[in-house]
Amino acid sequence: MEIKKSRFKRCDLLALQGRFDSSTAPELERALRASLDDGVFHLVVDMGQVEYFGSAAIRALVAAYKECRRWNRGDVYLAGLNDHIRHVFELAGLLPVMKVYEDSTAAVGNF
Amino acid sequence: MTQEYELCVSSSFRNLGQIAEFVAERARQAGLDEAQVFDVQMAVDEACTNSMEHAYGGREDGLVRVCCYVEGEDFVVRVTDYGASFDPSAVPKPDLAAPLEKRATGGLGLFFMRELMDQVDFRAHPTEGNTVIMRKRRKRRSP
Repeated sequence: MEIKKSRFKRCDLLALQGRFDSSTAPELERALRASLDDGVFHLVVDMGQVEYFGSAAIRALVAAYKECRRWNRGDVYLAGLNDHIRHVFELAGLLPVMKVYEDSTAAVGNF
Repeated sequence: MTQEYELCVSSSFRNLGQIAEFVAERARQAGLDEAQVFDVQMAVDEACTNSMEHAYGGREDGLVRVCCYVEGEDFVVRVTDYGASFDPSAVPKPDLAAPLEKRATGGLGLFFMRELMDQVDFRAHPTEGNTVIMRKRRKRRSP
C-alpha cells in the first residue's frame, strides 16, 4: 500500500496504490486529514493502482468529502476507478454524487 | 461433499491481506469469474473485519476461521469467530436516499456482504462461535 501526494496550485493529488482494507485505511485517513489541516479542500484521489477499497477506506473518503463540501469550499474528485471498484461505489450510492474522471490529469485540470 | 479449505488467523487487521489471497485462490479454483472473485473477496474482507473489530473489540488475540468449499452450484465461505455475538438485524442499513453530506457511515460492511453475495446467513452458538455463511452462485459455463 502506498499513498503519494502532490500539491498543485489548485488542489492536492493523492495517488493510491495497493490494498485499502481496515489495516491500511487509517493511513488514507491521515493523508486526507493532512491536506484538510493545511486548508486544502480541493482533492483528487487517483485510484488507478488500487487493488481493493473496503468500507473503512470508503468511510475515510466520504468523511473527507463531507468536510471539503462544507460551505461549498471544495470537492473531492475521483480518477481511474476500475470496473469492480466503480460497481462498489455505485452500490454505496457514492456515484454519481462524487465526480469521477478517467485519469488524474483530467481531474486536476477541472479544479 | 467436496473438499473444504480452511485458513485460521489471529484477529489482527494485518491478516486481512492473507485472507483475501486465500479466498481469491479458492474462488478462482471453483470457477468464479474475476468480477465474482472480487465480490467474494470484498464480502469476506468485510465479514472478517466485523469479527476483528466488533466480536473481538479490536483485540488481536482472537481466532478467525475462514472456510471455503463448493456446495452444488454455490461457492461457500464461512467466517467464524469466538467473540461477542451480534444481531445483524440491529444494524441500520445505510440510508442511500439521503444526500451524501448528511449520511451516517455505519452499516456499510454488512450492506456490502448482502449486496455482493447471493445469500448471507448468521449463526451464533455458545461454544461453536459466531458464523456467517456466504454463498455465491457459480455461473454455468456455456456449452
